[in-house]
Amino acid sequence: MVAAEETGVFDRFKPSTDQDALDELELKSKKYLRGEAANLEVLQDKKLKGQLAVREKLYGQSAKAAAKAEKWLMPSEEGYLEAEGLEKTWTIKQESIVREVDLLSARKAFDMILPELGPYTQEYTSSGRYMIVGGRKGHVAMIDMLSMDLIKEFQVRETVRDVVFLQNEQFFAVAQKKYPFIYNRHGTEVHCLKEHGKPLKLQFLDKHFLLVSVNSFAQLHYQDISTGEIVANYRTGLGRTDVMRSNPYNAVIGLGHSGGKVTMWKPTSVKPLVTMLCHHGPVTALAFHSGGHLMATAGMDRKIKLWDLRKFEVLRTYSAQAQTLDFSQKGLLATGNGSKVQIWKDSGGHEYEPYMAHAMVKGYQIGKVSFRPYEDVLGIGHSKGLSSILVPGSGEPNFDTWVANPYETNKQRREKEVHALLDKLQPETIMLDPKKIGTVRPPRRKEKKAKKEAEDEMEEAIAAAKSITVKKKTKGRNKPSKRAKKKQEEVFKAKRPFLEQPSEDGQPPAKKKQRVSEADELPKSLQRFARKKTA
Amino acid sequence: MAAEKKRKSNKKKNPSVSKTLTLDRAMKTKGGAKRAKGGDRKKKRHGPRLPAALLKELAVQNPSPSRSSDEEVDDDYAGGDRGADVYEYDEPVPEEEARKNRRFDEVENYEYELPEDFEDEDVPSDEGEEDEEITSNRSDDDGEEGEKHLRMLQEVTGMPAEAFDDKKKKKKVTLSDFQGDDGDQRISIHDLLDSIRGMTGYSELRKRVEQQESKPMAVQVPLPKVEREKLERKFAYEHAKKDITKWEPLVKRNREAPTLLFEQDVDLGFSTVGAIASQFEPRTEFERKMAKLVRDPEMVEAYNKDGARLLELNEVSVEDVKERQNRLAKMRSLLFRHEMKAKHIKKIKSKTYHRILKKEKLKAASAELQVDPEVAKEYAMKQEFKRAEERMTLKHKNSSKWAKRILQRGLNVQDEGTRAAIAEQLHQHALLTRKMNSMKDDTSSSDESTDNEDLDEELSPGKDDERVSKLLNRAKDKTVKVLEEEDKIPKSGVLALPFMERGLKKRQEAAYEEARLALQEYDASLRQFEDGDVEESQRSLKIKGKRAFGPKNQPQESNKRTKLDDVERSSDSEDEYEAAEQARVGSELNNKSDEVHLGTALLDDEPETAQGAVFKSMDDIVNNPGPKTTYEVALFTDNSWKKMKSKGVSGNNTESTAAKDPPKPNNDMKEMDENDDSDSEEEMVEGFLSTSDGKANYELPSQAVLIHQAFAGDDVEAEFEKDKMEALNEEVPEPEKPVLLPGWGQWTHIQQKKGLPSWMIKEHENAERKREEALKKRKDAKLKHVIISENIDKKAEKLLATTLPFPYKSKEVYEQSIRMPIGPEFNPAISVQALNRPAIVKKAGVIIKPIQYEEVDPHEKPDEPKRIIQKAEPNRKGKKSKKSKPAGGKKPQKPSAEKRIR
Repeated sequence: MVAAEETGVFDRFKPSTDQDALDELELKSKKYLRGEAANLEVLQDKKLKGQLAVREKLYGQSAKAAAKAEKWLMPSEEGYLEAEGLEKTWTIKQESIVREVDLLSARKAFDMILPELGPYTQEYTSSGRYMIVGGRKGHVAMIDMLSMDLIKEFQVRETVRDVVFLQNEQFFAVAQKKYPFIYNRHGTEVHCLKEHGKPLKLQFLDKHFLLVSVNSFAQLHYQDISTGEIVANYRTGLGRTDVMRSNPYNAVIGLGHSGGKVTMWKPTSVKPLVTMLCHHGPVTALAFHSGGHLMATAGMDRKIKLWDLRKFEVLRTYSAQAQTLDFSQKGLLATGNGSKVQIWKDSGGHEYEPYMAHAMVKGYQIGKVSFRPYEDVLGIGHSKGLSSILVPGSGEPNFDTWVANPYETNKQRREKEVHALLDKLQPETIMLDPKKIGTVRPPRRKEKKAKKEAEDEMEEAIAAAKSITVKKKTKGRNKPSKRAKKKQEEVFKAKRPFLEQPSEDGQPPAKKKQRVSEADELPKSLQRFARKKTA
Repeated sequence: MAAEKKRKSNKKKNPSVSKTLTLDRAMKTKGGAKRAKGGDRKKKRHGPRLPAALLKELAVQNPSPSRSSDEEVDDDYAGGDRGADVYEYDEPVPEEEARKNRRFDEVENYEYELPEDFEDEDVPSDEGEEDEEITSNRSDDDGEEGEKHLRMLQEVTGMPAEAFDDKKKKKKVTLSDFQGDDGDQRISIHDLLDSIRGMTGYSELRKRVEQQESKPMAVQVPLPKVEREKLERKFAYEHAKKDITKWEPLVKRNREAPTLLFEQDVDLGFSTVGAIASQFEPRTEFERKMAKLVRDPEMVEAYNKDGARLLELNEVSVEDVKERQNRLAKMRSLLFRHEMKAKHIKKIKSKTYHRILKKEKLKAASAELQVDPEVAKEYAMKQEFKRAEERMTLKHKNSSKWAKRILQRGLNVQDEGTRAAIAEQLHQHALLTRKMNSMKDDTSSSDESTDNEDLDEELSPGKDDERVSKLLNRAKDKTVKVLEEEDKIPKSGVLALPFMERGLKKRQEAAYEEARLALQEYDASLRQFEDGDVEESQRSLKIKGKRAFGPKNQPQESNKRTKLDDVERSSDSEDEYEAAEQARVGSELNNKSDEVHLGTALLDDEPETAQGAVFKSMDDIVNNPGPKTTYEVALFTDNSWKKMKSKGVSGNNTESTAAKDPPKPNNDMKEMDENDDSDSEEEMVEGFLSTSDGKANYELPSQAVLIHQAFAGDDVEAEFEKDKMEALNEEVPEPEKPVLLPGWGQWTHIQQKKGLPSWMIKEHENAERKREEALKKRKDAKLKHVIISENIDKKAEKLLATTLPFPYKSKEVYEQSIRMPIGPEFNPAISVQALNRPAIVKKAGVIIKPIQYEEVDPHEKPDEPKRIIQKAEPNRKGKKSKKSKPAGGKKPQKPSAEKRIR
C-alpha cells in the first residue's frame, strides 16, 4: 500500500515527458479497446454487471498490454519526403531519392525494359516478398524481390490478361485467353478453371480462399480453391468490364462499369449489395483503402473521386484522369495515367494532395500500379516492361510475422498455410459490415403469408403434433382417454399460433378498437356536455 | 435444594403409604388390636421401601439418625398433602393446579412445587388418608389406643417413651394447625416453611418467598397459543437468518469470481477396489460383528489350512443330482411345450376361429344357464340390472367422450374398425334398452325361467310324485332340445373350419349318445309314473304341449337372429348405422310377422315411401309425373332462354346476367353494356393517372441538373434513376391496382356509377402509404446515386443471433460486450489466457466438496480473476472436516501477513 502511494506521489511530480508518454499510451490503448464499453450503471442485472465489469477490466488490461507491445516492439515509423522552403515534394526526382537512400533500398528502384511481350501487369504477395509478372503476349515470371532472383519464367503462348497470387507464392492464377489457369511456383499448370470462361480480371480473397474472376460476359465467378467448388456465379448484367478490386476490410468485390456505376458484390447474393453511380462516363479504375471505408474511383469523365463507404457519399472530387489506382498500406494513393504516375497523400481529413510524381519515358503506357507491402516501393507495369520506384512512407514499416512475414522460412510458410486453411472463413461471412456478425438479427418484417401457404404450414404442424409418440406413463395416466386428450391438446397447441395470427403491424390480434367516445373528441371545456352513454 | 429432593422422595413414597392405609382400613373393621398391628406393619414396610440412595442422603443430612425425626418430616408432609386435598374442595384452586388451559403462570406453583401428575397419584389414596385422619383422630380420642401404640413403639425400637411422646406433641401441634384450618385459618406458605426450618436451603427458600410477598407480582395472562407460536417462529427465523447471513460474503465472493479453480486438490485418493477394501474399518454394530466372525482366528486358520474339509460337508449323492436334473428337465420341457402351445394358439390370426371360439364360450355359458336355474336367475337379474343401468345412464348411446369425438370428426372419415365399434355400441344399447315385453315374448331363456318359477310355485305345495314327474319331464324336454340344437349347429355354417368341424362332430356324437341314454331313462321313469297316476298324464300332456312349442319356437328365433345379423352386417358395410339401428328396432317391434319386417326394411331404404305400404303400388304413378314435371320446367326455362336470346341480346358477357335474371328488358342491358365499357375505360384512365401521380411526386430535377444531364456523355443519371425505381419496385413491390373481376357485380347501372367499393380504395391507399413509408425507411432513401440492397441474405442469417442471449436485456450492451475479439491473433499473449478462461476450472475426477465457512471481508474487492476453492490437504485419511477447517481459515490470514511485511 505504501509503495503504491509512493508511486502515486511520483505520478504527480513526474516530468511532463513521462506524462506525455502516458497519454500516448492511453491513446494507443484506446485504439485497441475498439470502442467504448457499454454503460454498466444502467444494468439491472447485478450478476451480468459484475461479469461485464470483470470483462471490461480484462479488455483494458489487454489493450494496455497491446499498446505497450506496440510501443516497444514496433519502433520504426514511416518517413515522408519533407520539402524545405518553396520546394515541393512532387518536384523531387527519383534519381535524387535513390542517391540519398542506402544501398539496399536503392536496389529496389529499377526499370525493366521488356519491349517484346507487351503491356505488363504485376502483383505482389501479401508479404511483399514475391512479385508475379504477366505480359500480355504470354510472358509469365515470378521474382523474389528480396534477392532479386528470377524464380520462374515461362511462356504460356496465349494472351495473359491478369495474374494473381493465391494463398502464398506457391501458387498463382493467370487469366489467359480462354480460361484462368493455376500454376505452381515451378510453372507447372495445376488447374484449368473452365467454368470461369474468358477472364478479364482476377482477385483472390485470401481469408476465404476464394478466387474471383470477371469474364468477358460480365459474369462474376467465385471459386473456393481449397475445395475446388464454385461458390457463386452471377451475371452482373452491366456490360463487359475489367475493373475489379476487392475490399481488404470486408472482402466485398467492387466492380466498375461502363455506365459509370460501381457495384459491390458478395458471393451469397444475386443482386449487388450496393450500386453507386460514381461517374458520368465509364469507370476506369477502382481502389480500396485498407481501412475499408475509403474508395477511390476514376472515370472517363476525367474525375477521380473519393468515397466514404460508410455513408456512400463523395468525399472529394478531383479533376484528373487515371487508368489505374492503388492505395498503399499507409494510405498513399497512386494514380497512373499515360506515362505518368502521381502519388497523393492524405493531408488530413481525406484531403488528398499531390505528394510525388514520376514520369516514365514518353510513350510508355502505364497498365498497373501497385504498392509493395512493407516496403516504400511502388511497382509499375507498363507497355514496355516493369518499373519500380521509391515512395517514402508508403509501406508499413513494422511487419507482424503472424500476419505476413517477408522473411518466412519454408516451415513457417507451411505452418501458416495450414493455419490459414483451418481459419478459413466461409463465403457467407462476407458482408458489407463484418462487425454485424454475432449481433442480434433485426426483426424481420414478415410478409403476410398466402392463405394456402399458411394452411399448408398449419397442416404440417398438426401432422407433426399428431405423429408425436406419447411416452408411456404410469398406470393411472396411461388411459386411452387420457392419451387421446393429451394428443388433442397437442394438436390444439400446434394449431393455436396459426389461428391467432398477429395483425400486420406486429401487434397481438387486436381486440376491437374502442370507439372514440364523443367526449374525447370534444374540447375539454365542452366535454361535460357530451351525451353520456347509459352505463 | 436438598429439601426439595426430599420432598420428591416423599412423593414417591406416597402411593405405597396409601396402600398400606387402605390395608389398615380393612383391618380396622376387624379389631383394634389388629389395627395397632397393622400400624406396626406399616412402619415395617416403610423401612425397606426407601431407596438406598435416599437413605444415604438422609443420613448425611441428619447425622444423628433418629427415626422419629424422619418420621416427623414424613408426617408433616402427609399433612401438607392433606392440605392439598383440602384445597381440592375449594372450587377455583384445583383448576389452577390442573392448569388445564395454562392460563396461570408458573410462578404460583412455587408454593407447592408439585409435579402435575401428583394429583393423579394422589387420587386413589384419598380415602386412605382420610382414614388415617380418622384413625389419628380416634387415637387422640382414645388414650388407650395411643398408649398401646406407644408401648408397642417402645418395644420395637427400644427407645424411651419420651422420644415418642415428644414426637406426639409435635404432631399434635401440626394437627392442631391443621384442624384450625377447618375454621377460619388457612395454611400459609410460612406454616409450611416453618416445618423445614434449619435445613439447608431453607433460608434461600424463605428469602424467595419473602421477596414474592413484598412484591406481589401482577401476573399477566399468558398469550394465546397462536401468538406464542408466532413469536417463536419469528425468533427462530431471526436466528436462522443470522446463521445464514454469515455465509453471504463468502457466497458473494464465489459468485463474483470470474473463475473458480478446483484443481488444487488433485489427489484422487484410492484407485482400486482392493485399496478401498483394505482401508475398510468396521463401524456399525453389524459390521463389527461380521468382522469379528470373519477375522476369527479359528475360522481363518481352518480356512487357510484345510478349506477342503469344509467342502466335504456339502457332498451330495450322484443319484440325487441326477434325479433332480431329470426332474428339472422334465419340468422344463413341459413348460416349453405348454409355452409353445400357448404361442401357437395365440398366433392364430383367423378371425373365424376367434369368432367361433368366442361364440363357443358364449354358448357354454348359455348352456350352463339353461341347465342351472340358479345361474339363470342370477343371469336374468344381472341382465335386468344392466338394462336398468343402461336406461339410466344411456352409456352406450354415443354419450361417451370417445363416441362424441368420433361423431364430431365425422363417421365417414373413420376406418372400418371404428365404425364397427360404434355400431357395436349402438347395438349394445339397443339390446340393453329393449322393452321388457319384447324380451318376454321371444327369449326362450326368460320363458323358461318364468316357467321355472311357475313350476316352483305350483310345486311348492304339491306332492312329491308330481314333482318328480315334472322334473323328469323337464329333463326330457331339455335333452330333446339339446339334441335338436346339436343337429342345428353344423347347419348354421359358422363352423366351416375343417378342424373345428371334426372336433365338434366328435363332441356332438358323444353328447348325442349321452343325451339319448338320458332320454331313455327319463322315458322309462316317466312311464312308471304314468302307470301309477292318471292325473299326472294330463299334466304331462300339458307339458308335452309345451315341449312341442319349444322346438317350434326355436327355429323362428334363430331365423330372426340371422336376420338381425344380416342387418348388422349391412350396417357395418354401409355408413348409416342409425338407419340400421332403426331397422333393428323396427324388426324387434314387429318381429311377429315377416312381411312387416320386410316393410320396415324398405322403409329405411326409401324414406319417401315411409307413409305406408299403400303407396307402394302408387309408386310408379307418383314417380313418373315427377321427372316429367321437372323436365317441363327445364323446357320452360330453356324456351325462355331461347326467347331472350332471339330477342337479340348480344355479347357473351351478358350471358351470366341473363341466366340469373331473365326478366330484364333488353334495352337496359344494352345500356348496361355501354356503361360497362365506358366505366372500365374510366377506370383505366384513373389507374394511369394514379401511376403518373406516383411519378410526379418524385423530385423535379433542377435546371442545373437538367443541363448536366443533357450534356453528359450518356444519360447515365436518368438510366440510374430508372434502375433505382426498378430495384425499389422489386424489393418493395407496388401494391396492385384495385380492380373488379370482369362481370362481377356489374349488372346494375347503379353499381357501375358507384365505381370501386370504398374499402378497396382505402386498402389500396393504405398499401401505397405503407410502401412510401418503407421506401422512406430505406438506407438509400436520401442517396440519389446509390441503391443499397436490403434483401436478406438467408445464408448469412445463421451468423446472427436470433434472439438476445440470456442475461442481456438490451441489444446495445450485448453488442458492446462482443466488440472485443478475444482470440490470440488480436490480443497480446499475456491477456489471452485470462480472456478465455472458463468459469470453472476442474480436473476430471476431482470431487467438489461442499463449501466451507471462512471469514471473508465483505468489502474487499476481488482483485484476482481466479479464486481457488479447494485447498490441498496434507493428510486426507478421514477427519476431513476437522482438517479442512484450519485450511479454510488460512485464507484471511494471508493479507494480514502481507501487511505486516509492508
